[in-house]
Amino acid sequence: MMGERTVSALYAGGTLVFVLLTWQFAVTVLNVPAYFIPAPTNVVTALIRGRDLYAAHFMVTLWSTLVAFGVAFLLALLLGALVSEVRFLERTLYPMLVALQSMPRIALAPIIIVWFGFGPTSKIVLGILSAFFPIFLNTVHGLKVVDSDQIALMRSFRATRSQIFWKIKLPNALPFLLAGANIGIIFAILAVIVGEFLGANKGMGYLIVNQSSQMDTPGVFANIVLLSATGLVFHYGLQALRNRLLFWASGSEAAGTSA
Amino acid sequence: MTDPGPPIMQLVGVGKTYQTRDGKGVVALTPSTLDIQAGEFLSIVGPSGCGKTTLLNMMAGLIAPSSGSIQIAQSAGTAPRIGLVFQRPVLLPWRRVIDNVLLPVEVMGLAPPEAYRARALELLAMVGLEGFANAYPSELSGGMQQRVSIARSLVYDSAVLLMDEPFAALDAMTREELNLELLRIWKMTGRTIVFVTHNIPEAVLLSDRIVVMTPRPGQVREIVPVPLPRPRALSLMGDPDFGAIADRIRGMLRPAGAALAA
Ligand SMILES: Nc1ncnc2c1ncn2[C@@H]1O[C@H](COP(=O)(O)OP(=O)(O)OP(=O)(O)O)[C@@H](O)[C@H]1O
Ligand SMILES: [Mg+2]
Repeated sequence: MMGERTVSALYAGGTLVFVLLTWQFAVTVLNVPAYFIPAPTNVVTALIRGRDLYAAHFMVTLWSTLVAFGVAFLLALLLGALVSEVRFLERTLYPMLVALQSMPRIALAPIIIVWFGFGPTSKIVLGILSAFFPIFLNTVHGLKVVDSDQIALMRSFRATRSQIFWKIKLPNALPFLLAGANIGIIFAILAVIVGEFLGANKGMGYLIVNQSSQMDTPGVFANIVLLSATGLVFHYGLQALRNRLLFWASGSEAAGTSA
Repeated sequence: MTDPGPPIMQLVGVGKTYQTRDGKGVVALTPSTLDIQAGEFLSIVGPSGCGKTTLLNMMAGLIAPSSGSIQIAQSAGTAPRIGLVFQRPVLLPWRRVIDNVLLPVEVMGLAPPEAYRARALELLAMVGLEGFANAYPSELSGGMQQRVSIARSLVYDSAVLLMDEPFAALDAMTREELNLELLRIWKMTGRTIVFVTHNIPEAVLLSDRIVVMTPRPGQVREIVPVPLPRPRALSLMGDPDFGAIADRIRGMLRPAGAALAA
């Protein structure tokens, strides 16, 4: 017998193969030029031919994304903990950050490039700004929804505030933290790419702009395939981490936030 | 038990009114006065909603009384530590059973850890959970989870142990076994136990005194002494004196009594 997961994977894979075949067939039969919509085989060829080029630019984008995500994650965790533990900050800093959250961060890209120049700093700053909010808001939420009986239990042991934080609040917030991270990493890739569109001479965003201007549409698609694959790897990586760490939480997926 | 000595806990006019959303407030406990003797086994019985949990939480220092005061005697050496068994298990789902039992040891920094670990395993065996030390709470039934929480409350020495219907979720057999086990531990450690229950025979079997409360908003109605000899066995439940005490308490808790009080 096949397991539930194998069956699901077969369905998803089958659908993908069907879509690709239809695409290939339609483009060939309708004689669509490759610079307009390339056939899947064109994209694969571009990917194989330019593998060194893609690898080099991919590493730049990946590195910037990971740095942005890492900084955003630590910052969100730290500020989230402070806001939920310190009443004064909850009243001052938190409303401020919630208000900032509704600001479209991507729209700041041009001005950030003015501030930080054409180096990698700009796109990393943009990535941090984008990834920070979903992680931060989920962390604060997670640290607040703690079971009050668990706190009472700890207080009956005369637990200190820091013990309550580390032993109760943080584990309780973990599902929300991971859900926030899942959104945050996708936002980070997005922001880094936009940063590279606007002001960079390396990275996949730069490559896409460059190839588009040369009508190298198969090349652009090759980039997109790579980026989607990376997004999937992050998503499933975090999912696997979640399954390992949160076996005890009964499917409590935390709420996301808007871009 | 001839000389009660000074009480370990003194409640004077302790009452509680909870604030509610509509601002009216709910009277959970009408001011009550009660002395708890060091080393005694005191039970509290009363209809649902009469404020037993509220009273226990105030004794544990988890919520502040709206009126009155609670004095806890300072013993010579260590400050009296209060142990509390909640009405529901309150386990940490990400910790294994053994680590849940050891949580208070960890929080209080009790040493040596190995000794407490051995003790935790002993307690788990005592509550019938041998072999479940490495399980997670979600793998246990409700009654098993409650037994873990009982083991957790016994792993460290508290001068006063407050138990809020600890055996309510257990089957009759396990319940009787744990009653006897609790009596044994109580005798061995000499601690004071305050025990909330809905089960009148259980209260009579275990207690030195039984506090009977009025329906909500509750108040101490009467304190019934249980002068039955110790050590007590289950066979005592057939004793006419036992039956007489149980009947007396039952009479106080009957709805007719409620109508009278209202
Ligand atoms: N946090 C709270 N806020 C408002 N009202 C409360 C709160 N906790 C309890 N009450 C009210 O106080 C009263 C006493 O509650 P309590 O839990 O102490 O009863 P109890 O005697 O333990 O009942 P049971 O036997 O069902 O456990 C109830 O009427 C309840 O509605
Ligand atoms: Mg109760």
